[in-house]
Amino acid sequence: MTRYFIKRLLGGLFTIWITTIAVTLLIHLVPGDPVQIMYAQSQSTTPEQIEQIRRNLGLDRPIYEQYIMYMGRVLQGDFGTTIRGNQPVLDLLLVRLPNTLLLAVTSLIITMVVGVTAGFFAAYKRGTWIDTTLMTGAIVGISVPSFWLGLMLISIFSVRLGWFPVSGTNLNNLVLPALTLGLANAASVSRLTRSSMLDVLSQDYMRTARAKGLAETLVLSRHAFRNGMINVVNMLGLQFTYMMGGAIVVENVFAWNGIGRLAIQSIFQRDYPTIQGFILIFATVVVIVSIVLDLLYAWIDPRITYN
Amino acid sequence: MARLLDVQNLKTRFFTQNGVVHAVNDVSFHVNAQETVGIVGESGSGKSITMLSAMRLIPSPPGKIVGGEVMFQGRDLLKLSVREMRSLRGNRLSMIFQDPMTSLNPVLRVEKQMTEAIQLHLGMARSEAKARAVELLEQVGIPGARDRIRNYPHQFSGGMRQRVMIAMGLACNPDLLIADEPTTALDVTIHAQIVEIVKQLKEERGMAVIWITHDLSLLAGLADRILVMYAGQIVEQAPLHALYHHPRHPYTIGLLQSILRLDEQRQEHLKSIDGLPPSLVNYPQGCPFAPRCEFAIAKCHSEDPPLEPVGVNHQVACWVKPEGADILQASQSATA
Repeated sequence: MTRYFIKRLLGGLFTIWITTIAVTLLIHLVPGDPVQIMYAQSQSTTPEQIEQIRRNLGLDRPIYEQYIMYMGRVLQGDFGTTIRGNQPVLDLLLVRLPNTLLLAVTSLIITMVVGVTAGFFAAYKRGTWIDTTLMTGAIVGISVPSFWLGLMLISIFSVRLGWFPVSGTNLNNLVLPALTLGLANAASVSRLTRSSMLDVLSQDYMRTARAKGLAETLVLSRHAFRNGMINVVNMLGLQFTYMMGGAIVVENVFAWNGIGRLAIQSIFQRDYPTIQGFILIFATVVVIVSIVLDLLYAWIDPRITYN
Repeated sequence: MARLLDVQNLKTRFFTQNGVVHAVNDVSFHVNAQETVGIVGESGSGKSITMLSAMRLIPSPPGKIVGGEVMFQGRDLLKLSVREMRSLRGNRLSMIFQDPMTSLNPVLRVEKQMTEAIQLHLGMARSEAKARAVELLEQVGIPGARDRIRNYPHQFSGGMRQRVMIAMGLACNPDLLIADEPTTALDVTIHAQIVEIVKQLKEERGMAVIWITHDLSLLAGLADRILVMYAGQIVEQAPLHALYHHPRHPYTIGLLQSILRLDEQRQEHLKSIDGLPPSLVNYPQGCPFAPRCEFAIAKCHSEDPPLEPVGVNHQVACWVKPEGADILQASQSATA
């Protein structure tokens, strides 16, 4: 168990390292650089001055040198400062990370509650109008892009009904973005839950449970549910990654002040240290979540052992 | 002797996309208290569905019991409310299943799977129920039951899992235990052990047992009476000795001829019954066995024979009723 855990941690570190290389290469492939973008509007800056600033930032050096210097600093806990505004990147990210996590976790809860409930009932009522309605809803949910759903929710609940603020970052504002993100993912979770439950409901041990004289609710909750959840929990890791990624879009639609919104701004400004810092934090969160889910998976299915 | 279970004209159908499957057709039989009855037939003969129908455990839809009655201790099980039926299941009558690998819940400890029925039917507290479960596991011969009860099903071997199933089935001292091919999924070496355990527990507790199998030889030292099923019907029923030595239905005779015996020298191939059982969707006219039957006469193809008495507790559904004793004798001397 401990050995498995250490192996997973090392694997996770390796993943994060590869991510840093990939992102460094990618951001330098994008045309334009931060200094040019920053001074594009100002006529007074001469090309010599721009060169000078680039040199100060180390942008004139080859990519691999920039990468090694960057990683050297990161390993000492220094994520650098933003090119525009000169703020420490790590502080900027860590202030906003809880907002993104709050949004992602709330969405995940909505996903699980809505998706699992819908899938469970669709499976139990297989072939009835309940099943058909729920699964049609799921297809619609999968097909609708989250930014559109977000805009619709804003126009109905904020603009028409005035129940929630249009945008901002406090608990009151959490509802709409979390719904947007949660419902979209609930659709795919409900489909997985349904097929997984259908499989479980036809298993021999369900007949055994009924042969004992257990009430149907107990048969479903004790014998079916946990078995049906094995596949769903397995998918959760992937879902959470989607949540984090989806958060980037949704944060921008709702002006939710998370790291996703910061990332988009930095990408437009080619703010290399911020983008790199963002990816590093993002990758770390994904790796941690996937390790935690592995443990959860083993807990829910006793047949899984990590040796 | 008192009739514990009395099934009359039971009919079960499965309404599928390909048509109506006539799974159980007018099946009538009874089981006396403390009696062991074997039900024999090949796959799809309706032997399991008959007993699942009696337990009201057939998947519905598509399955439906369309007629008959199942009297158990004076009550028609088919007329009981869902709640009343539940209070009998796993309590007065219980059922154990073919494949112990898939019939136990993989994510629950054996303890939970055993105690849930005990707590439900006997109203015991958790600790009491656990003590009883440990005792039951010891009775079915699971070593170290006190520790093993904390294990999950996958931590047991196939034979041990079937013992757990049996212990579960016996948890509330049922009056009737239905064993649905409990040895089929196990190694041949384990068969005798499982049979012995059930036999012994039956003696101790004085319960009745219905043992469903496709292996006629397995019932030799076990059953008091045997029902032979074919295409959802009972084609012959007789006490063990009469059925083994004086079978009167060509299908029973065929089954007996296909048993490999250790006490004979055999040069020829084992005799098998040609052909396949009929499709239960397009149920044949006449006797369902007629197309495969070497004794069939014209009448067999047009009229379905009723079960008629041919001896003490011995009934057969056949127009011809060949003397099985002579045929078996002849085929034995031919191979010797």
